[in-house]
Parts: sequence; C-alpha cells; structure tokens
Amino acid sequence: MRNTERTRRLLHRRISEGITYLLLTIFAAIIAYPIYFSIISSLKTPTLYTSDKIGLPTAPTLANYTSVLTNMHMLQFLINTLIVVGLSMVLYFLICTAAGFAFGKLRFKGRLWAFTFVLFIQIFPQMVIAGQVYQLLNKMGMLNTFRGLILVWVAYFAPFGTYIMTTYYASVPKSLVESARIDGANVLQQLVRIMIPIAKPMIGTLGIIGALAMWHELPFSMLILQRQQLRTLTLGIALMQGEFGLPTPVLTAAILVTSGVPLILYIIFQNYITMGSTAGSVKG
Amino acid sequence: MHKTRVKRTRRLSQDAKDGWVLLSPLLLLTGIFLVYPVFSNFYYSLTQYKGFGEPVFIGLENYVRMFSDDRFYSSLKNLLILTLYIPIGVGLPLIIANVLRTGLKGWKLYRGLLYLPNILGPVILGTIFSVMLSQVGPITEILTRMGFADANRIYLLGRSKSAINTLSFLFVVWMRVGFGCIYFLAAMSTIDSSLYDAAKIDGTNALQDFIHVTIPGIKFSIQFFIVLAFIEVFARMYGMIFTLTGGGPGFATYTLEFGVYMLSFSAYQKGYAAAWAVVLFFFCAIIALIQIRLIRSEERS
Repeated sequence: MRNTERTRRLLHRRISEGITYLLLTIFAAIIAYPIYFSIISSLKTPTLYTSDKIGLPTAPTLANYTSVLTNMHMLQFLINTLIVVGLSMVLYFLICTAAGFAFGKLRFKGRLWAFTFVLFIQIFPQMVIAGQVYQLLNKMGMLNTFRGLILVWVAYFAPFGTYIMTTYYASVPKSLVESARIDGANVLQQLVRIMIPIAKPMIGTLGIIGALAMWHELPFSMLILQRQQLRTLTLGIALMQGEFGLPTPVLTAAILVTSGVPLILYIIFQNYITMGSTAGSVKG
Repeated sequence: MHKTRVKRTRRLSQDAKDGWVLLSPLLLLTGIFLVYPVFSNFYYSLTQYKGFGEPVFIGLENYVRMFSDDRFYSSLKNLLILTLYIPIGVGLPLIIANVLRTGLKGWKLYRGLLYLPNILGPVILGTIFSVMLSQVGPITEILTRMGFADANRIYLLGRSKSAINTLSFLFVVWMRVGFGCIYFLAAMSTIDSSLYDAAKIDGTNALQDFIHVTIPGIKFSIQFFIVLAFIEVFARMYGMIFTLTGGGPGFATYTLEFGVYMLSFSAYQKGYAAAWAVVLFFFCAIIALIQIRLIRSEERS
C-alpha cells in the first residue's frame, strides 16, 4: 500500500519533470531559432535560399562572408567598432570607478543629491538629447570623429555604470579602504593604489554591461558618424538593408559578422556573462 | 573626545574634497552631453528650427500642432499597447523561474540559449525578424509546407494592428523572457530556504509557496524589473523599430522616441521634434522618480 503510494509520487514527479523539459526545450528553440536561421541562411547561395528557406544548406558556401567583409566594408566596420568600443571602455571604466568610489565609500555633503541626479539621468532616451548633441558636436567640430562618439557614449552610459560601481563599493568592507586613505595619499594615488585594485572583480561585469551597450548602440553613431568609412558594425547593418536591398544570405552573413565578437565571447564566458548581467538590480 | 571629533571633521572635509574631485569627470561629461541638451531642448521646443540657420521663437505653436497631430496620438496609443504587454513580459519569466527554482539538470544549457537575445541586441534582432516575418520569409514557408495555402497573406508587419502587436510581443516578451528568468532566479536564490521549510511544515502546496514565500521574498526585484520594462519601452526601442518596421506601415509603429527621430532627422523639423521630446522627457522623469524611490526604500531596509 505504502509502496504504491511512493511509486505514484515518483511517477508524478517524473511526469512533471518531463513536461518542464519539454516546455523549456520548445521555448529555447523559439528563442534560438533566429540565430539558427541566420547561420544556415548565411551559408546558402541566394538561389538556394530562394528555393529553400528553412532547410540546411546542401553545399555550404562562405562567399557571402567574403562579399560582406570586403565589398560591404564590414571588415573596416569591425576595426572601427573595436577601436571606438575599446577606447570608450577605458574612459568608461575610469570614470565609473572614480565616481562609484566617491558615492559608495566617501561621506560628504551633497553626495545624496549628486547620486540622485545620476540615477535620474541614467534612464533618459537618446532621442531627447540626440538633436542637441548633434548641434553641440557640430559646433565643437567633432562630427565624423571617433573622439566625438567616444565622449557622447561615455557620458550616456557612465551613469548606469556608476550606479553599479556604487553598489559594489558600498558592499566592500571599510577596512580595505581606510588604511590607505589615512596615509594621506592624494586622490590620483588612491585611484591607482586602492580603487582600481579593489574594483578588479567588477571589471568583467562592468565590461559586459558597458561594452554590449556600446556594441549595440545605434542613434548616436548614426548621427555622429556620417561618413561610410567611419561606421560601426551596428550602424553598418542598420543602414545596409535600405542602401543595397540585399539578398537574405548576404544580410544574414552581415548579421553574424556584427554579432561575431559578442557571440564568441559569450560562448567562452557564458556563466560569467549571464550572472554578471543582473548586477545592480538584484539585492545581495 | 574632542580630539576624535576634530579628526572626524578633518576626515569629512577630506572626503568632500576627494569626493568632488572623483565625481568631476562624470559630472562634467554628463553636464555637457546630457543636462545641457535636455535644457536647450526645452528652448528649441518653442522655436521653429530646421537644423540650420537661426531658430525663430514661435511660443507654444509646436505644442498646439502636436496636440492635433495624428502621429502623436498614434505614438501614445502604441506606448499604451506596449505597456499592456508588460504583465506578460514580467509574469512569464517569473513563473518559469519559479519552476526552475529547485534546480533542473542541464539548466545551464537552456540558460545559455535563453540569454541569446541580449547578446544579439535590438538592431540585429529587428533586422533578423524583418527578414523572418517578411511575406517571402521562412515563417511563411514553414506555414505553407504545413498546408496553409494562404500563408503569405498573414503578413504580420504589413497591417497596422498586427504590426504593433508583433513589435510589442517581440520587444516586451520574446526579447526579455530569457533575461527575466536569469534575473528572477538570481533573486530567488537569495531567499532564506528556512522559509520554504517552515511553509512545508504547514503543509502548503507549490502555488501557496509561490504566493506567500517567493513573491514577497523578491518583491524589490519584481518591482525593479517592471520599472526596467517601462524604461525599455519608453527609452530604448529606437533600434528595433528602425530595423523591424521603420515606424510603419504608415505610422502604425511610431513611439514618441521614434517620432522624435523621424521629425528631427528625416523631416528636419527640429523645433517641432523638440516639443515631442519634451513630452517624452516628462514620461521618463516620472519613471526615473519611481525608480529612485524604489532604490531608496530598498537601501533603507
């Protein structure tokens, strides 16, 4: 009697587990299908794609990739993206670390006010400021320069990064900071000796959040980089469809080139990236 | 006693000096590229300005025009539709995370797939979906092979109603579910497990646990996630709209954000666009204030 009860329970658990797996698999398939579709389409010739849009490519070709990288200047766009995102990230990291330290570990008048200000401006849509930023850069002679885009990107994304660094520094024990501050070292020395070393575990998280946001950014790069040879990958692909009326296999190859670096990094650091993404918004 | 107070005051003034030095790069940059533009935007909203030459002061004319512009009301209506999808975009990952809470073998693989949209980003996703949902795309072909002869007439992005609903579903639900699961799971892992044990002794079922232990345990995270969803809808949609629908058909998938772009850079009516941006500013300011209150109350507890 008791035995049948246990078997029934076990069976019940197995079934519900099976249903969970089934639903999760369907779900994951729906989420992953677009990227699967892009991969298989990018390996097809345009003729093959027209006749079969959903099957696997019979004779995979890399021709779309060569065409995208050379004829459509995606290689140039990739280099541009790496330069702009790389330089922006250095500045972004320094600014967020310094400001996060000030908010998280120092006590001074006006701190709360300034922190509220940072939280407030952090959510503003690019479109509220885009027109004015364009005028401003025009006056400063920084349109069509990476310099201009870097400054705007860092200004726009640093508030959120600062918020994350603030929550991090607030959680660091005081003793780590105290001794070096009593030394009477100046701010710059403190930055190099204490703040940055303590921030090391956050480099990855901040890097993911900042670099992904910049990699995906469209409106500012669209306004600031109007010469074709200066384009970033995301800008390149956003304008590509309209400019060329591309066949899908070529477009999907361009998609994979654009997402290539983030995807490869994601495959290597999956655990780290998915967990880091919740920084600043989950308690604890 | 007196000595420590002196030390403390000195320490505080040192903190103040260092604090403002450390904040200065951030305040300088945001001052120039965020705060100044917001303020000058208010001024431009009262002018007629094409983007070159001198702006001409015209008072509230732009606002009068805006309140009789169909595109403006369409944008507001679309934002309302988009926000109606938020309960699904929050509830679905919450339920999935709750099912997965006690652990599931192979979860890492699923997690890896569910997070993919965040790696690809809205511009790429908009581009892929515009291909996939086109009349001659793979979805049509799959449906045709399944025996739907008229599949190419189901052109989701071609009709106003289905276009805005498709956009809403993709942006608010599809794109955010994976992140939501990961986010809620991370939040649920901070709940003290003894609470579940206590509930078990009371003989509660899974649904009761969910309502009485899980939801109160991650209340802050749920509220924060809802606020994030609002931010995404009001302030982060441009990339996907641009690549998926271009605002169309007609202006059926305009939002305030997209409208500002079209008026400002496509129609060169920068003064008029600035009036739209002012409305957008106020929506975002309300959301920002809610978020600040949320973070403050969390810090206090």
